[in-house]
Amino acid sequence: MTIMKMEETAIVWTLLQSDLRPIQDVLAEFNSKFTRSRYFPVCSSLSILLQDPMILRSTDRLIAFAIMHQCYSSVKPSLNPFVSEMINAACNEQAEKYERAFLLHLFQWNSYNNAKEIFKLSAADYIKTFDPSTNDFPELGELQREYGNKADGPSSHMFADYALKKLLHDPDVPRGCDPNSPEFDVQVQPGGISKIGSGDRNEAISGILGSLTMGGLAPRWIRPCPPRYPVHQSELLWIDPDNKHELVWDDKMCADTSRGATVRDLLVKGLKVTLSPTEQEDITTALSNDPKLVYHCGITPRKLPQLVEHNPQIAVEILTKLINSPEIVDYFTALVSMEMSLHSMEVVNRLTTAVELPKEFIRMFITNCISSCENAKQQDKYMQNRLVRLVCVFLQSLIRNNIIDVKDLFIEVQAFCIDFSRVREAAGLFRLLKTLE
Amino acid sequence: MDSIPSDAARDGSICDEAIVLSVTCALAKDALSYFQSGKFHECIDILIQLNHKKRNDPKVLHNMAIAEYFKNACSNSKKLLEDLNTVKKQSEELAKEPLEAVNPGSNVSVSKDLFDSTVTTLNIAVTWFHLHQYAKCLSILDPLFLNIEPLDETIALQICFLMLDSALACHDAVKFLEVFGHLDKSFGVGFGTHEEIGSTMQLSSNQVSKTSSLLSSSAASDALKSDLAAAESGLCEEGLEYDNVLAEIEAEKRMKPVGHIPANNLLKTIGERSILTVDVKLELQLYKVRFLLLTRNVKLAKREVKHAMNIAQKRDSSMALLLKSQLEYAHGNHRKAIKLLLVSGIQKELRTSGIFNNNLGCIYYQLGKYQAASVLFSNALRNCSSLRKDNPVKLFSLSQDKSLLITYNCGVLYLACGKPLLAAQCFQKASLVFCRQPLLWLRIAECCILALQKGLLEGGNTSSDRSEIRVHVIGKGKWRQLMMEENGFVELGGSAQWPKLSLPLARVCLSNSMYLLNVSLMNESKSDLESPLSVMINDTKEASWSDHGDANTNSELKEAKGGMNQDIIQNSLSAYKDIRRRENHLLKQALLANMAYVELELENPIKALSAANSLLQLPDSSKIYVFLGHIYAAEALCLLNRPGEAGAHLSAYLLGQEDFKLPFAQEDFDPWRMNMSSDCEETSDCSTGNARDSLKPEEARGALFANLAALFATQGHYDQAKPFIQHALTVLPNNVQATITAVYIDLMVGRSQDAVARLKQCTRVSFVPGRLEVRAS
Repeated sequence: MTIMKMEETAIVWTLLQSDLRPIQDVLAEFNSKFTRSRYFPVCSSLSILLQDPMILRSTDRLIAFAIMHQCYSSVKPSLNPFVSEMINAACNEQAEKYERAFLLHLFQWNSYNNAKEIFKLSAADYIKTFDPSTNDFPELGELQREYGNKADGPSSHMFADYALKKLLHDPDVPRGCDPNSPEFDVQVQPGGISKIGSGDRNEAISGILGSLTMGGLAPRWIRPCPPRYPVHQSELLWIDPDNKHELVWDDKMCADTSRGATVRDLLVKGLKVTLSPTEQEDITTALSNDPKLVYHCGITPRKLPQLVEHNPQIAVEILTKLINSPEIVDYFTALVSMEMSLHSMEVVNRLTTAVELPKEFIRMFITNCISSCENAKQQDKYMQNRLVRLVCVFLQSLIRNNIIDVKDLFIEVQAFCIDFSRVREAAGLFRLLKTLE
Repeated sequence: MDSIPSDAARDGSICDEAIVLSVTCALAKDALSYFQSGKFHECIDILIQLNHKKRNDPKVLHNMAIAEYFKNACSNSKKLLEDLNTVKKQSEELAKEPLEAVNPGSNVSVSKDLFDSTVTTLNIAVTWFHLHQYAKCLSILDPLFLNIEPLDETIALQICFLMLDSALACHDAVKFLEVFGHLDKSFGVGFGTHEEIGSTMQLSSNQVSKTSSLLSSSAASDALKSDLAAAESGLCEEGLEYDNVLAEIEAEKRMKPVGHIPANNLLKTIGERSILTVDVKLELQLYKVRFLLLTRNVKLAKREVKHAMNIAQKRDSSMALLLKSQLEYAHGNHRKAIKLLLVSGIQKELRTSGIFNNNLGCIYYQLGKYQAASVLFSNALRNCSSLRKDNPVKLFSLSQDKSLLITYNCGVLYLACGKPLLAAQCFQKASLVFCRQPLLWLRIAECCILALQKGLLEGGNTSSDRSEIRVHVIGKGKWRQLMMEENGFVELGGSAQWPKLSLPLARVCLSNSMYLLNVSLMNESKSDLESPLSVMINDTKEASWSDHGDANTNSELKEAKGGMNQDIIQNSLSAYKDIRRRENHLLKQALLANMAYVELELENPIKALSAANSLLQLPDSSKIYVFLGHIYAAEALCLLNRPGEAGAHLSAYLLGQEDFKLPFAQEDFDPWRMNMSSDCEETSDCSTGNARDSLKPEEARGALFANLAALFATQGHYDQAKPFIQHALTVLPNNVQATITAVYIDLMVGRSQDAVARLKQCTRVSFVPGRLEVRAS
């Protein structure tokens, strides 16, 4: 983006050339034409033009400096962004004395304090009336100490810090050539061919003003663009026709809910009394005819103990069919936590041969059996003996059928056998353990 | 009115109840038969009667919602979902009530059955499936699957198949296996049981006609031979060209104008759960192949698809052929894939012609024939839209509408062709389906970056402008001055018409993508903790992805002696997980590199530095991304005035005092090339790939030279900078940035003649006349 708009360029250029008007008039006009926000762009452009001693005429230069000063006259000189350029110009030995003095007046340095008076003159008059014998010029350091930028400019980063001005002399123009010398400025006849080397200062300056952009020329960094993420062939979507997933009509609507009603009724009965063989037969056939019926037969984990007590056969049947159910754990828990009895052990024993039971469950069941025997001690010796015998037979069966690994329970079972060594079956179990050892 | 029989019995009004029951039962039957014959108005009338008799029976309301939906030509899926959700909530509340008033003697399960909402839930999931919300569909079905044992076989099958399809769509191999394992157990296909099974699992269905798959089977077998012949003659003689294929498709059309399937036949299937007629055995076998394809276990898939062909022989083999084609496609045997695709015959049916065109488009893309691919994709889209218009009554027209998937493919294609704006439009459309996929967001960000490079972004200063140096020649004769401008302003013609692609958008997309990636990585590691599979089986694959060849195919799996078993499937799964892990790792690197780049472009060096640092901290990264990480970090550090650290990043690649090694090798780029397994038959012309896709190792080396020179130059070490910039310009003679740095150095050491000479040598410098005419004075 160029710094200045076309109209601005024209205005600035006109102002710079007003060498015959009093400087203060020129400054007033500048103030009226530019808002504060445009000061910086204008001054930046001017500073670039000022860097080359040849481009601008001496009167133009004075006006340019005056503008640069005027724009930032409300703040301390050290806050003027262009102060270092002005200081450098004021101390430039090669520069004209009147220019250096003019700058010192702007700075109001020591005895140079009649800027106001000078502004009443036109730039041309100032040069004319300047006393060339003036010789009191300060050192660069002095001015810098006085007005210089204390803090380095807060430029954004190091590339910008080291940016270089972008304006180059065309090397085809000989170095020593003084464009101000009248040698080339022979008036071209209308229709004639202009002489090589002739040119128009105005054109060049307004061209520069019009093309200037912010920022200088800095070393450039190569920033490679990240490569595109590879397209794997699976990223392109190969489409297979789906199965037709259609909306389903619910055909259970108003349907006969009597599915398995007889079985349910029989099972309700079976929670309380032992069913007759024919009744048991009915249940078994119904369950095997409809594999999903078992989920609808009304036996919940809570009801399971009752069923086990009265109809262990049926309980085994149902549990076997439920083995894939996600709720089977609840049924097992119910089985483990119910009171130990011949029937519960029978159910577990049969289950072990029919399906694969979780090890954890069997272990818990056995532990439960053993502790039941121990607890029975306080109540009834006879009952206890009976229970111990049952447990022993149950355990022997498990061991013989390789349902449990004795090692897992060895200590527990051994202690149990020793505890109840008076019972014949316990002694038998102990011997069995010893043979396995 | 309470319809629970036990309650009724207690009331002693058995007779009335029985009569009501039989009446409603008859009405229900009528409703069903109307529904099946497509008379939805009559069906709804009856349902209204039923609703009067049985106030708020959820099942009646459910069927009403379904019938209404069909009556309105399946147009209002949103309302259907609302209705079904209401019904579901209602059933659940009703199911709770009797349970709360539990008395131990009563039979709770009866009422449970009555208010069972399984079918409703299934239908909700089906609807989401058709709306392409596969993850949602899965999450809805999950609870049903957890308790699938008690469900009727037909419903259970429907649930499982729907889950399988959804899991495939989500690339969720774990979920797939979970469901497949269940089906396998129940229906016993078994992985690798290769004895020929003659009997098909026809479930309790009296309907034999095959409306199920792609073609009616008789037509398929008839057409098969002629197709094969045609394909052989048409394609074997090097006739792979696109025109031939098109001509062939045209010929097919002319021979048999694609008629619509009799509506009668179709509608029958709506009510009758046509899935029952599907040969479960074949179906499972096909799913198995799809799983193996998903997990990229090409070798095993090859074997299993053969088995599927054997099963399908007497029946419908089009799906098996299609999978075989996909297999060859995955394998990189594109000719074979085209042949099989033609033979599958899916182009003949209106319903599937879009799929055919899409799949053929994929193949042509892989062949690097982007023009043909783009024609095919747009044909596919046209097929889809005509399907939408022509068959409003069919529900599955919804599910057959694959246009969003095809649109995604279009996006990939446009991006590859260097058309970022079109590509972004496609991706944005496809985001309806893919918004949870990190890759989609990366692709959109890539569109933004590509648009930036091509100068298509709003707001002017683009890097394409930077590709030229402009030297304004101002003034004439002795006043002539040169003004260098490497960052010129180019007016964009009608910039308002561009969509909102921008760098800030790229930034948002990248962080979206990163977020989604992290979420999925977190889930993965979580599931790894839970599953016993966490132990990596593949030690051989630990090498980073950069080892080229078949890094992305799962072919290293050894075939087990004898039949396959669960182990092989698990191996396949874990190998796939490994592949996914590597891909995600690569994706993460790409995301961080893009983030750093975008932040640099947005002049935000702090964020760029942190992205670049995270990239460099990733273990086992690709050498390319490591290089990018270093170079982005170095630039960001320069912008933050930390030249020392910047230099350290660059000098990591220094070889001796003044030379750089290649930061990466050409092989590191292989994943950017067409992905092909090592034993593919043909090589496609990779050269068609966009040049912007890749970064040559030599260019990267040149960038190192140039950047180190720039770094020295900014520090005032011009003597040190000079040899480096000289190297840089030897490697990259026309690079704009390097030229500018060289000019800068020349000017700084006071050799402006050299600088201008350099400018004149560089082909990418244009000397333009000053823009202003004299206007002043």
